[in-house]
Amino acid sequence: MGLALALVAFLLLATAGTTVAAEAPRIAQVKKLTGQVTILRAGGRLPAKIGDPLFEKDVVETGADGGIGITFIDNTVFSAGSNSQIALDEFRFDSSNFRGEMLADMRQGTLAVVSGDIARSTPGAMKIKTPTALLGVRGTTFAVQVYGEH
Amino acid sequence: MMRRATLALVSIVLLAGCPRQALFVVLPNAEGGGGAITVEEGETLTTLDQPYATAESRAGSSAPIAETPETIRVIFRGAIAAQPILPRHFRLYFILGSDELTPESKIAYRAVFDDIKQRPVYEIEAIGYTDTLGDLPYNQALSLARAAAIRGGLVRDGLDRDAIAIAGRGKHDLLVPTADQTPEPRNRRVEITVR
Repeated sequence: MGLALALVAFLLLATAGTTVAAEAPRIAQVKKLTGQVTILRAGGRLPAKIGDPLFEKDVVETGADGGIGITFIDNTVFSAGSNSQIALDEFRFDSSNFRGEMLADMRQGTLAVVSGDIARSTPGAMKIKTPTALLGVRGTTFAVQVYGEH
Repeated sequence: MMRRATLALVSIVLLAGCPRQALFVVLPNAEGGGGAITVEEGETLTTLDQPYATAESRAGSSAPIAETPETIRVIFRGAIAAQPILPRHFRLYFILGSDELTPESKIAYRAVFDDIKQRPVYEIEAIGYTDTLGDLPYNQALSLARAAAIRGGLVRDGLDRDAIAIAGRGKHDLLVPTADQTPEPRNRRVEITVR
């Protein structure tokens, strides 16, 4: 009996997990592109196209001639220059009260940012991590460069 | 004394030998002001809150440094060139008890449409509101009808219906706070975000 209940609970949890994964909300959209840009998602590599949705955990990678501009659903704007890699680690946003949390991992390259509703409604809720430092965003317009391996 | 000077010199040489790992800079925004960011690294916390204020990360800590705007523009030229058209916000007003735009807002609607048309790809949010005249269900329906009217207009003008999200907030979130049962033209509105 206990085992059966545990099995049911496991199946319910497994199903719930699948549903969440299938309905992962879009967190941003590709708005502008130059050169070669790749989206790393779930172990795969996809060439980025204008209009593509982006999801939490996606990694955006620009080539030697690449550049990409994306706009998040909280109206934060990221634009990256060439030879850049940025992971969209965490993103939560409630459009009814404009609150949320955001953590991006800037691994390499150049990134210009115009922050949106998350940073405006909740100071400290938007952060950008680099290999050596943690950047806290009060707003609105700033840029980060992370040097590659020397 | 000599020994301390030598130590200081050695640490300067060591620091200079460590490569810069990251650069952080506040950029001027469209309004001519700037942003404000904090950089936390090891024991150091650096706050940058003026246009072109810059900090670098080096040897396990961060510190403010001086860089010219010209240097900053060169370093971030590619990133800035990749910036898309920034999101924009519009507010259109409606006739009392109606989902029809005021004459002024019918003109202002063209600016909304023109803004959307210049974007290679777009997402639109239209959220309707009412003043406090009438009960909650009436105003909830009216606010949604106003947002739907905006979407209907944009779709008739050729935009993609799937890219337009609508919602109604009834007489909640007043732009101009009033008592209940108060007509207030500025509260009869749809807030539109284009990105």
